[in-house]
Amino acid sequence: MKYKSQAVAKLYFIAAIGLFLGQILFGLIMGLQYVVGDFLFPAIPFNVARMVHTNLLIVWLLFGFMGASYYLIPEESETELFSPKLAIITFWVFLAAGAITVLGYLLVPYASLAKWTGNDLLNTMGREFLEQPLPTKVGIVLVALSWLFNIVMTVLKGRKTAISLVLSLGMLGLAVFFLFSFYNPVNLVKDKFYWWWVVHLWVEGVWELILGAMLAFVLIKVTGVDREVVEKWLYVIITMTLVTGIIGTGHHYFWIGAPAYWQWWGSVFSALEPIPFLMMTIFAFNMVNKRRREHPNKAAVLWALGTSVMAFLGAGLWGFLHTLAPINYYTHGTQLTAAHGHLAFFGAYALVVLTMISYAMPVLRGRAANPERAQIMEMWSFWLMTISMFFIALFLTGAGVVQVWLQRLSPTPMSFMAVQDQISIFYWAREAAGVVFLIGLLLYIGSFFVKGDSHAFE
Amino acid sequence: MNPNLVNIHLVNSNSTHHKEDLPGDFAIWIFIFAEMLAFGVLFVAYAFTRANNVELFNASQLTLSRTSGAINTLVLITSSYFVVQGVAAIKRGLNKQCAHWLTGAFLLGGVFVGIKIVEFHAKFAADITMSTNNFYMFYLSLTFFHFMHVLMGMIILACIIVKARRSAYSAQDYVGVETGASFWHMVDFLWIILFPLVYIIR
Amino acid sequence: MSATFTKSMARNVFYGGGVFFFLLFLALTFDTMKVLPKRDNSQNITPAVAHGKKLWETNNCIGCHTLLGEGAYFAPELGNVYTRRGPDFIKAWIKGQPTGVPGRRQMPQFNLSDADIDDVVAFLKYASEINTNKWPPNIEG
Repeated sequence: MKYKSQAVAKLYFIAAIGLFLGQILFGLIMGLQYVVGDFLFPAIPFNVARMVHTNLLIVWLLFGFMGASYYLIPEESETELFSPKLAIITFWVFLAAGAITVLGYLLVPYASLAKWTGNDLLNTMGREFLEQPLPTKVGIVLVALSWLFNIVMTVLKGRKTAISLVLSLGMLGLAVFFLFSFYNPVNLVKDKFYWWWVVHLWVEGVWELILGAMLAFVLIKVTGVDREVVEKWLYVIITMTLVTGIIGTGHHYFWIGAPAYWQWWGSVFSALEPIPFLMMTIFAFNMVNKRRREHPNKAAVLWALGTSVMAFLGAGLWGFLHTLAPINYYTHGTQLTAAHGHLAFFGAYALVVLTMISYAMPVLRGRAANPERAQIMEMWSFWLMTISMFFIALFLTGAGVVQVWLQRLSPTPMSFMAVQDQISIFYWAREAAGVVFLIGLLLYIGSFFVKGDSHAFE
Repeated sequence: MNPNLVNIHLVNSNSTHHKEDLPGDFAIWIFIFAEMLAFGVLFVAYAFTRANNVELFNASQLTLSRTSGAINTLVLITSSYFVVQGVAAIKRGLNKQCAHWLTGAFLLGGVFVGIKIVEFHAKFAADITMSTNNFYMFYLSLTFFHFMHVLMGMIILACIIVKARRSAYSAQDYVGVETGASFWHMVDFLWIILFPLVYIIR
Repeated sequence: MSATFTKSMARNVFYGGGVFFFLLFLALTFDTMKVLPKRDNSQNITPAVAHGKKLWETNNCIGCHTLLGEGAYFAPELGNVYTRRGPDFIKAWIKGQPTGVPGRRQMPQFNLSDADIDDVVAFLKYASEINTNKWPPNIEG
């Protein structure tokens, strides 16, 4: 690696992968609970498992983003990190906070956890994805600010590139929009309306800036294409993201009590949301085709291309599938939403973090690329995880379509639980695909331990 | 002089500066493309919704002021003409004239905004909102969305005027002016579709 | 493609476009907040409803159920459960959990007092009267 301080990224990446494994294990528990309802009950009820599953996802992605930025910002800025020590302290604070929170979820009834952590002072808990106790939420803000501060100070003292600018803006947005998690009015409509300012404006807004910056960085490194070209396309793509995605928030405002005009605004703009993802796919393949060098880390190239394709499929295509109001009227809150959620989070965010780890980790371990055998194993893990996640999405889509028919469209609608019994075959198939995913992930972790002749730096 | 050399020279200069190129920076054209797409989908949505509620749409349409809409159409077309003159001026390297023409366009943009505000005010005073009915939903959405584009266009024109006054452009380097002009023409063009669609066609 | 395509213009368009659409979003939000009182049933928010919402949150109901279609998709939609089942059924249901039927999905016992359960029901009644543009399509949610 070029700068000593980049080494802090390694801690973050290791934690990210560890938490990722935890997320998948809880996913498998939930998947089984879908078909064997009393599995692990009452030790781990479904709502607890789900909270752990989704919160671990958010936390490991944040670890990934942080590690990635501590790695790439010194290189972009051509200077050491402002404070590696602060980055290390932040790491341990975040990891401890995350671990205590998850243990709290698992060991203490949620209502008691709420009482002990000051939820009576300020009600913020018990909303999807924002289940964290108040101290954890405050901790997330502090961690995000410390991260932002460290990165911005580094950028300010060094070279300022479009990539570091976009990344910093994404982080700033992440910190700012998270503040809406502290606003929880009794008015349920307002609660939901601003809840989306965290959730939607994160994943279909500022996180995409972070994603774009990370992908652009890796593409420059592995293809050797001129920075000017990559950076101006980065700007164009994220412009399209914001143009479509901000008003696209409206696709969440169809049925929660907000005015009906959101059906038009939300449908039109979110229907355009696939465009930036399609541009990203074309862009990534173009850059790789025009590459000026053969980077020895072929696995990283695969992850990068995979990110662009799967983000388009998961976020773009699967999102478009049910984003138009007349369709969403029937699909809202069904397994179709779950299908989209899984493929989009995996395709866009899990994969981009893995791309970054795949590129950076060998460098952090003192080589340009891993040994061939390790890379082959890594590529196997890519295909296993990607294909099985694609099948998870397909099975959930099947479950969703049948659910919509039986429960909402049919002339003799069935009750929710009766429908769930009818579609259990899809859930079994999904669980099987989930097991394959776990195998892929274990293979991925295993690839870090394969020894052999690694590629030295040129 | 060797004719071949001249040819090569011409070919080269052509390849870097095609006559049929989109005027201005390509980045603004991607943005224009996205905007046209969004407006286009909204126009189509309007047409379909109207087809299902013809009477409601016709009745509500009568409450719109066609006169102010027509005046605004003339205002924007004139402003676009001024912008064309501004671009022609800068192509001859005349920064000052360019700034004058664009200032004219900017002021006309201000007239448009003023008239539009009077129109909006009348509707709000009558308690008409986007939630009143489908026609007003489209009328207010489309015209307000367009209204914001006029404001943005004026900000862009203002930036270019300031630069032109500082003689920052030249007969060789006028891409910045063309870029802003392209955006302004889009704003004008959208209104030329919007006005008959929402105010007139019955 | 046009001859000129510069990074600085791409950056300007990014800033301009981002700010523009965020302002538009704020304008729409402003209008939404003005219209909401006619739709959000907020006139019926009583202390009981507020307490019911807090119980809803502190027992992480959203971790299994959906409310107005948002949440987990493991258990039935509750935005319209008040109209679907009525207050007495809901109270008996909450008290009777878990069913303990082998292999069936289980809802935990939350040990709520009768007064608490009344408040949860008040909250669900309030939620069911929000104007959701006629969602869900039918009573099954």
